[in-house]
Amino acid sequence: MRSIGHDQQKQRSIWYRLNIDVPLLVGILSLLTLGLCVVYSAGGQSADMAIRHAKRIGIALFVMFFVAQIPPLVYRKWAVPAFIVGIALLVSVLLFGHVGKGAQRWIDLGFTMFQPSEIMKLIVPIMIAWYVSQFNLPTKIIHILAAFTLVLIPTLLIAKQPDLGTSLLIASSGIFVIFLAGASWKLIGTCAVIGSAFAPILWLFLMKDYQKQRVLTFLNPEQDPLGSGYHIIQSKIAIGSGGLQGKGWLQGTQSQLEFLPERHTDFIFAVFSEEFGLIGVTLLLLVYLAIVMRGLWIAISAEHAFTKLLAGSLTLTFFVYVFVNIGMVSGLLPVVGVPLPLVSYGGTSMVTLMAGFGILMAISTHRRFIA
Amino acid sequence: MKGSVKKQADKYKPTTVAWRFYLVLGVIVLVYFGLAARTAYIQVVEPEMLKKQGDMRSLRTAASKVHRGSIVDRNGRELAVSVPVETVWADPKIVMQNNALAMVEHWQALADVLDKDVNILKERVTRNPAKRFVYVERQVSPAMAAYIKQLKIPGIHLRKESKRFYPTGEISAHIVGFTNVDDKGIEGVERVYDQLLTGENGKKQYRKDAKGNRIEVLKDVESTPPEDLTLSIDQRIQALAYTELKGAVKAFKASSGSVVVTNVHTGEILALVNSPSYNPNNRRNVAIHRFRNRAITDFYEPGSTMKPLTVLSALEFGSATTNTVVDTNPGRMRIGGRRVSDPRNHGEQTLTDILVNSSNMGTTKLALDMPKEFFLDKFFEAGFGESTGTGLIGESSGIMHDRQRWSQIELATLSYGMGVAATPLQLARFYATIANGGIKRPLTILKKSKTTTASPSLFEEQRVFSAKYSQEVVSMLEHVVNDHPVEQAKVAGYRVGGKTGTAFKAMAGGYGNDYVGLFAGIAPISNPELAIVVVINEPGGDLYHGGEVAAPVFSRIMKGALRLLNIAPDANTATANNSLNTKEPSHV
Repeated sequence: MRSIGHDQQKQRSIWYRLNIDVPLLVGILSLLTLGLCVVYSAGGQSADMAIRHAKRIGIALFVMFFVAQIPPLVYRKWAVPAFIVGIALLVSVLLFGHVGKGAQRWIDLGFTMFQPSEIMKLIVPIMIAWYVSQFNLPTKIIHILAAFTLVLIPTLLIAKQPDLGTSLLIASSGIFVIFLAGASWKLIGTCAVIGSAFAPILWLFLMKDYQKQRVLTFLNPEQDPLGSGYHIIQSKIAIGSGGLQGKGWLQGTQSQLEFLPERHTDFIFAVFSEEFGLIGVTLLLLVYLAIVMRGLWIAISAEHAFTKLLAGSLTLTFFVYVFVNIGMVSGLLPVVGVPLPLVSYGGTSMVTLMAGFGILMAISTHRRFIA
Repeated sequence: MKGSVKKQADKYKPTTVAWRFYLVLGVIVLVYFGLAARTAYIQVVEPEMLKKQGDMRSLRTAASKVHRGSIVDRNGRELAVSVPVETVWADPKIVMQNNALAMVEHWQALADVLDKDVNILKERVTRNPAKRFVYVERQVSPAMAAYIKQLKIPGIHLRKESKRFYPTGEISAHIVGFTNVDDKGIEGVERVYDQLLTGENGKKQYRKDAKGNRIEVLKDVESTPPEDLTLSIDQRIQALAYTELKGAVKAFKASSGSVVVTNVHTGEILALVNSPSYNPNNRRNVAIHRFRNRAITDFYEPGSTMKPLTVLSALEFGSATTNTVVDTNPGRMRIGGRRVSDPRNHGEQTLTDILVNSSNMGTTKLALDMPKEFFLDKFFEAGFGESTGTGLIGESSGIMHDRQRWSQIELATLSYGMGVAATPLQLARFYATIANGGIKRPLTILKKSKTTTASPSLFEEQRVFSAKYSQEVVSMLEHVVNDHPVEQAKVAGYRVGGKTGTAFKAMAGGYGNDYVGLFAGIAPISNPELAIVVVINEPGGDLYHGGEVAAPVFSRIMKGALRLLNIAPDANTATANNSLNTKEPSHV
């Protein structure tokens, strides 16, 4: 750090004072810009949609900037109350929530619809990181079990809504903390066994018919090409018709002609692939990889356990977003409603993600103050 | 600085394992690689298939269907017309959704009207319930369609189609041909001129979106309207020829027969009939051999009907003139161990006598008197061994060997029409050529318009014989009819020329016991208009000679045709047996 030249140090210090991590910001901004372009294309070149998306980007950037100003240890202090409030919200959603699209996810606040599961995406890793970071290595099994329970409660509550995608993301964010904190391999193995034993229970009692159908469809999309297999077949066709170089921005036929469902939200990757081809996809993946690596770097160089675990968990959750979305769109994974982070149209998840990046930036830039 | 961090962090002892981060990093890089590989697979390995799939979903071709054109004869009489019919089809998915199979009575009614078994019908629809299209019955009449519509069975639909109808039935079946159930020509003129009759369906290739809106038109081919096809056939002559031929085939217990009537000036085929024929409107259970257009597909040894060609060749070469007398004594001769003979000794004969007597000896002597190359060339020039140019599918070129070595006996037999095989059409073309003053024209099945003088056939016409010698042979043919042998070929009021032919049917390895009786003739001699060839194949009764079985048919058809065409009689009196035409100043 000290070897950095004078000018850079000065510049860096400006960003530092603003609590902004420059490499992360560059990556995020490039994704957001790209997202704006693709949303414009996927939305049938509707200026309205692009403007709405741009507004959300603005809000999200503001939230990120705001969150970045808060020293990470503040989160640590508020972890438990936030978690309790979050759980309460989730329960109230199940009890009084607004039903939409076959799922009960929203609370009507009067002026806007609020989705408590989104905020839990941040609260759960904070909570688990707080919990695990109190103990010394090696983490005792009892603590790990307790941590698992803490993860399981919101996961199940959200799965009950039902919102498989979000519950998956939340569970993984908690589990990443436990993993990074040093759960023994034996324990990880046991958990894997228990998890697979849990699968039939999940299948029989917790999953709704449409979710079961999704899994079946994933296993054999051609079985019902006009029904449930339609999404995945169309999306593969869209990706494949892009070829190496793509058809060019606004030129994708499958997406522009509305053959592709959910093209501006969950399936936006297919639109992108059709229009920008393999070259574009490779570049996009590199940007995502760069962001994840920067996040991990922040985690590794974070100076104490809580921030380390939190940063690692947030980064890995971001990575899971990317992996699940692209895997689902390209037919590697079953269809679960996970947007392509920072690119897909849709407000709430972007704001949450950006808040997460705000925390990452806070962790990255507040080291001095800790020190 | 580091030390102070440690101190500060003492409160929270490092509980993380650094190497796990690196492990995670490795896993992440691997996963990204996997994602990239997956996309690369879809985009680079599979893209052709997926691109095609994409186009399949978005590209549509709309055909603006046009009605098939009619086929009419030279006077505008309809030979083939399209009539509207409807096709019944089922959408099994809709049928199943509406549980329409429960409407037992309706299905029974449907089966009854279609004359089908109700269970077979149901089975057909339910065999694949996910299917969206199954034919129930094609080409039902509008009345039946209206009835089926009344049944209102969910999932049973009607579609407009057109069906071919052939008003002339079996008379013109071979020449007109027929279409299949998809309205595509598969035989005869229907097939040859399928594209013309269909027209070019207008095609619009466009891209549509998922809602079916047209986005862009990629290709737009204007439809060319179908044309009505006017054949050279004169249905009146055609009908007459068919009636006569059918009668003769029956009377002489022949296996089959063909008649070709051509206009010698234009090469137009005015009639082309075969017996047995078939009804093109109901082709079920028709024996396959009845479909054969024998006049163009089957070839026979023309026998004595070839003799005029030998005489003409001799005249052309100059080895003989009309005054030449050929000594055919003693009525037989041996060439290379094989015998050539006449039924009786005709002694010294003029060229006319040779044709009148149908003397094998005479033509043999003429043939051997000229160089074989010249003689053989005349056969090729006369159109034997080549297509007549009608373009009809299945037309045979007959057999005319194109080889270097011809023995004397082979040349001898060739001179009286053995060792060569011709279709009735080729024979008609040869007679039309000599009747036309030696100018060979391709035969055509299409009517030639009189207004266009520069018709392409003008370029295809070819002088193969001199006008003078052709005319001399034509008048010799008149003698053949008028002098003793073939009284039956005469046509009252007209001067007629022609030649009989009787040949054993060639079989594998030699000749069988069946005959072919032929007659080829021209009329009116003063200004030939028509050439007619009659072939009676395998007559089974006592009569088999061309003069006995084919000549009467020729006479009746020629008589009828000349009258139908309003051709002025050229004989002095109706019954005059005019043998004085050698005095005509035009020749000798």
